Amino acid sequence: MSVLARSIGNAFRNKVRTAAVVAVLAVAIGLALAMLVANQAVAGKVSELNASVGTVLTVTPAGGQGFEGGGEPLTADQATTAAGVPNVSSVVGATALRLRNAEAAAAQAGAGGPAGQGGPGGQSAATVTTSLTAAVDAGTLGTRNQAATGTTGSPGAATSFSLPITATGVGAEVDTTGKALELTAGSGLGDYSAASSGALLGTTLAEKNGLGVGSAFTIKDQSFTVAGLFDAGTAFGNNALYLTLPTAQTLAELPGELSTLIVTVDSMDHVESAKTALQAALGTDAADVSQGQRNLETAVSSLSSVKSISFIAFVAALATAGLIILLIMVMLVRERRREIGVLKAIGARNRTIGLQFVLEALVLVALGSAAGAAVASFASGGIASALISSNTTTATGAAGAAGQRGIPGGMAPGGFPGAPGGNPLGGAGQLLTSVTASASPGVIGAGIAAVFGVAIIGALVPALLTARIRPIEVLRGE
Amino acid sequence: MLEVKNLVRTFKSGDRTIKPVNDVSFKLAQGTLASIVGKSGSGKSTLLSLLGALDKPTSGDVLVNGVSLAGMPDSRLTDYRRQGIGFVFQQFNLVPNLSAVDNVMLPMEFAGMRKAARLSRARELLEQVQLDPGKHARRINRLSGGEQQRVAIARAMANSPQLILADEPTGNLDEQTGEHIIELLSSLSRDHNTTILVVTHDRQLANKTDRRFRLQQGRLTEEASPARPAATAPAPAPA
Repeated sequence: MSVLARSIGNAFRNKVRTAAVVAVLAVAIGLALAMLVANQAVAGKVSELNASVGTVLTVTPAGGQGFEGGGEPLTADQATTAAGVPNVSSVVGATALRLRNAEAAAAQAGAGGPAGQGGPGGQSAATVTTSLTAAVDAGTLGTRNQAATGTTGSPGAATSFSLPITATGVGAEVDTTGKALELTAGSGLGDYSAASSGALLGTTLAEKNGLGVGSAFTIKDQSFTVAGLFDAGTAFGNNALYLTLPTAQTLAELPGELSTLIVTVDSMDHVESAKTALQAALGTDAADVSQGQRNLETAVSSLSSVKSISFIAFVAALATAGLIILLIMVMLVRERRREIGVLKAIGARNRTIGLQFVLEALVLVALGSAAGAAVASFASGGIASALISSNTTTATGAAGAAGQRGIPGGMAPGGFPGAPGGNPLGGAGQLLTSVTASASPGVIGAGIAAVFGVAIIGALVPALLTARIRPIEVLRGE
Repeated sequence: MLEVKNLVRTFKSGDRTIKPVNDVSFKLAQGTLASIVGKSGSGKSTLLSLLGALDKPTSGDVLVNGVSLAGMPDSRLTDYRRQGIGFVFQQFNLVPNLSAVDNVMLPMEFAGMRKAARLSRARELLEQVQLDPGKHARRINRLSGGEQQRVAIARAMANSPQLILADEPTGNLDEQTGEHIIELLSSLSRDHNTTILVVTHDRQLANKTDRRFRLQQGRLTEEASPARPAATAPAPAPA
């Protein structure tokens, strides 16, 4: 019988006690693994948020944020100026316009609904007709603009009111946060600096209108073909479409004008300096530079605190598992002093006996880890959600409020409903709650490796205690 | 050959100094079956633990085949216990969750013997101590006291030691079983040329040994043995 076989046999000497120890270890290890899974999931989400908006600056016409009105629209020359600012890696111009279904617009006009004031820079955003029907029905999302008696609604007009569809012309295949568009079908529009009859539609907008890749629709009586479908992750974000920048400018009859510049900085470290330099280069009376990362700071900070809490809980649960092993093994060593003495009397080396106890501890940990991994795979999602929801309620509210502030043109019906995919803030709340904590084999494996590491340390102490047992004590007890 | 020279072991008990082993000297030729008798607390077990390198003497020396144990590092003393000595205890001291054969294999495993070889040797030894082959794979706690002592003797023989130290080997056994154990030790000594030193209260056992010593207040004297006259016994060294 080898040391390993003897250790396994010893682990099951007292089956009831072994079951109890394994159960306690399973809880501690399961909690540790669940916390590690949550930690990794949140860390991934923080990276994703930082990667998506962390290095993006948004340039709008001066006074364009909020309700102050706005100055002159941005131009291609300003885009060139912005591109020359140090540490700026890319500048993408965008022009937004509202699309209204021709029939809905006519019905709303007949019912005395509000005109389409608002829009980028506080100016009247171009409103053009389309054959598409908005994917979001009035009154189905949120609490504003849906009641006839609401403070922002128009009395008597609610029954004929419909939400507009956002069309954005972009100079590259990115959304207004600077993040690459996530195409779920079809392909991109190719050269975004040239006019094109292709369009990228949000998945829900395409579904609402029964369109797929290759289908046709009209904007301003001009025929367009669906080149691809994208998923922005939000209901409003998917009630949108993208065109090439020149096409949108032509449809808006505003050639050369830009409503937004999406500026990407080369690293997080340079965002602050680039923002200052950009503001100086464009002039405070001509453009406002805002930092998406700032707006999401609360959300990211909240996630970071969840990450810290989960890491501390992981370490604490790990330490608890180690302590359980330590105490159990100390108890076993004390219980088997006579046996250890006899083994030494018949020639066992200290390291052989120590190894036997370490292996016995690892057998218990292996059983506890197997049960703990099962616990973690079931509980990690719930634990992560509970941690996030208890830590992000405030943050989500703050982020949402900031998101509204960032919507150019205000919230009046017919106004600009936010950029597709959300502006740097629009989807913050959703991003926070969309953290998926799945127990991947890699994370579980790393967690179990850490558990074994701690268990070895925990088992070494009692193993070293065995070296202090003198075999003479056995004979004295005779 | 076992040679003990002026062996002393003292303990402190408060202000008092106790000398359970006080200037003990004797020699045992290889293959001798010897016994030490004495009252409880006379120092028999202390002497046995000094001979078995389980304890270190205050002064004096133990020589096994001319090799001194005094000053030997702990790792070498462990080697000596593994290869040179076999222990038989009154309480048997077998590992309870192992089978008879696994218990006998333990010292061989510690000595690094291959599994197949040690299994074969363990079975052979258990047959020598006349343990029913059907009980070789039985757990220790399912064997009788006599059977357990047979297993303990087989374990003591595992690495073919030159010296077996037995501390009250019949103390927990009935008279008949005790006699079987005495015969077994006697035949082992005779057939394997193994020196066996038995500490016992059992006068019947002591009478069957080649040489018989009495330990009294830490001092060892040799008595005449029915098995062999005391004339050849060395006199204890002066204090």
